[in-house]
Amino acid sequence: MNSLLAELSGDFLPRFLVGMAVNFEIAVVALAIGLALGMLLALGRLRGGAAGVAAASAVTLMRAAPTFVVMFFLLNALPREASLFGMPLALSGVMTVALSLVPYSAAYVSDAGLDALRHWRDGSTVGALLFLPNVTRAFFVLVMSSSAGAAIGVTEGITVILRQAEQLHSLDDRLLLFALGIVMFGIPLQLGFALIGLVQRSLGRRAAVTDEASA
Amino acid sequence: MRRLLAVLTGWLIACGLFLGLSPLQAQPANSPDAALARLLDQARARLPGACSQPNADRLIKILCAKRIRIGVRDYYPLFATRNGDQREGYEVEVALAIGRMLGVEVEFVRVNAATRIPLLAEDRIDLVIATMGHNSQRDSQVRFIRPHYYQSETSVVAPRVLPIANMNDLPGRTVCVTVGNISNAELVSRGARLMLFDEAGVLPDRLKDQTCTLAAQDDSFFAYYFTDPDFAQRFFPKFAFAQVPWGMAVARQGSDELARALDLISQIFHRDGLFLDIARSQRIGTTFLEQQQRVWRKPECNTDSGATNPACVLAPLAAELKPTPFAGAVSAFESWLDSHADIELSLPMLKTAPAWSMFQEGVLNSLILIVGALIATLAFALLFGAAMGFRVAPLRWLARLVTVTLQSSPIVLTLVIAAAIVHAFFTYSDAVALAASIAALGLANGSNAGQALSEAVWSLRAERTTARGFDLFTRALGRSATQIVAFLVNAAKGTPIASFIGAPELLSALTDITSFSSGRATTYTLLLVFYTVVVIGVVWLCGKLRLYLEGRQRRAEAVA
Repeated sequence: MNSLLAELSGDFLPRFLVGMAVNFEIAVVALAIGLALGMLLALGRLRGGAAGVAAASAVTLMRAAPTFVVMFFLLNALPREASLFGMPLALSGVMTVALSLVPYSAAYVSDAGLDALRHWRDGSTVGALLFLPNVTRAFFVLVMSSSAGAAIGVTEGITVILRQAEQLHSLDDRLLLFALGIVMFGIPLQLGFALIGLVQRSLGRRAAVTDEASA
Repeated sequence: MRRLLAVLTGWLIACGLFLGLSPLQAQPANSPDAALARLLDQARARLPGACSQPNADRLIKILCAKRIRIGVRDYYPLFATRNGDQREGYEVEVALAIGRMLGVEVEFVRVNAATRIPLLAEDRIDLVIATMGHNSQRDSQVRFIRPHYYQSETSVVAPRVLPIANMNDLPGRTVCVTVGNISNAELVSRGARLMLFDEAGVLPDRLKDQTCTLAAQDDSFFAYYFTDPDFAQRFFPKFAFAQVPWGMAVARQGSDELARALDLISQIFHRDGLFLDIARSQRIGTTFLEQQQRVWRKPECNTDSGATNPACVLAPLAAELKPTPFAGAVSAFESWLDSHADIELSLPMLKTAPAWSMFQEGVLNSLILIVGALIATLAFALLFGAAMGFRVAPLRWLARLVTVTLQSSPIVLTLVIAAAIVHAFFTYSDAVALAASIAALGLANGSNAGQALSEAVWSLRAERTTARGFDLFTRALGRSATQIVAFLVNAAKGTPIASFIGAPELLSALTDITSFSSGRATTYTLLLVFYTVVVIGVVWLCGKLRLYLEGRQRRAEAVA
């Protein structure tokens, strides 16, 4: 451990934290777009008919599209001089990763949103509120998945760890550094999951109280 | 100071040319000098009558117009750069020396890697001197001037501290390269992963901001950057490979006499050290030029037929890729689609034998990876499920700890850890990379599925079921079927990420193919379609598995 600390560059921790902030930034962007798109799809599925079939088909495709392949598709298949409504559409690395996560987040939000809308329609506010912990769970999955950006050179948390690891000579030191990375990623993740559990238990208790009152 | 040096060099070269071509200096009749003088005299004798002939050779047209249009690059430091109207660099000075030799003005035309050959073919330039490597593929497009005026090799540049010495250190590492570089194929064949960029100009910046740990590009390109003390302090050219001679080139049609004149000029420039003087004045590497000067001073090469003597000239880099038996049909289909549906489709993976072979292997390896990841996920799910459902607390806690650890590790990191451990015990190979990927994907997804399975076991126990042992476990499988299937699908979807540690699946294969061919948009679209279809297939199969497991559970509950 001492040899690892000796070999770690002085600015490793600040660089890692900045990198992790990029992971969160990617997740926020992916979730924001996924929420907008996913809720539209959920409404389409709830409505049924042709719109429902189209929305369900889109969700099936989005569920099946692997994030990593979508990322390389966006990176390589989009023309460099592409534009949208006259605005240049040159994607940064961060935006490429964020957009590659949109199919997953939109499909997830669509499923969770559809459940919430059905609960809402059936008069179960508490059931509909389960949408919030579900979206929070998706957010943390997105944070973890954003590490795929390492493959295209985005300087996120895992990229910082891997660059540092390349300069370490012993396997033991590298494994220790990786373990450090797991702890650093694990803390917010496990705290997030604990928070989700807390919210779900609270909602469960409220649901039970509501059920008893209505009985 | 630099301009003064350039002016002085120009004068020295001009004096050298004057003395070299002076009739006062006796030359054997078969010398290149005499041959050039004869050729130019004969061409000038036909003026001005030949100027109006539509099929006149480009040499005649140049002499008539008293100017030669030379394509050079705008920004290739040390070789050709432009600052306003001022151009400088080795190639610029060579172009000016050629103009002086022919007694005409030089008109520079900007070219880049994509336009230099089309501009020749369209008669918008007479000659191109633009860092163009002479390979066998280009021989069919332009007429290269022999002897070559420079030679480069692909240099692999990395931070000084990185322990890289040769090709054997590349397997599993990512190298930043430019699309279309002919040396990419060799890097791929030696196990390197590639990160593709459109322009070489971005590579030094990507090295500096650590996006790239390794970058491969012509040594002539990096030469300029190594003149920057900061860059030279941080980075080092670790090794070089794939030597390629650089050739000036003219159009294949209507340039026979011009090409002959330039061949002779190039011979004289080498023999008399003019290329060498210019190179020294521009501070570029001179090893090749020194070696060439020795060659062109040999009596057997210093003749008017030296440029066609295989013992004197260098062979082009062999770059022709063997076509597949159906390459013609594929090209015809692409053309048909373009003309009938206005769809520009490019299928490089079907046109050349190496690309086709890599494509087939990529598809096969992807399928192996997907099946392996599914089996490993299921196996680890059962293992973790059993361990976490066990009544013996230490075993349960241990399994729980491993699960939390795996949940907290981003999949990229899990893959890297698996690769690091596996490579510590085994030599790098495709099979080892595949095995490490399967293990990592299986562990990451299997631990989560196992947690769901154990929760089902404990929920059945909480319901005071009478089932015990294997019976309890199979009922828990049915109860947690949805979760297990979700993680199986996740494992299948996650397989392309295995390319990150060098697993030779389809994403890796297609990235490699597009690094030395065209058609990136089509290639990656097909890749997306392939994986989406495969995952939809896995979802369908897993749906069947879920129905089977849930049916078993319902039957078991009905019996209980």
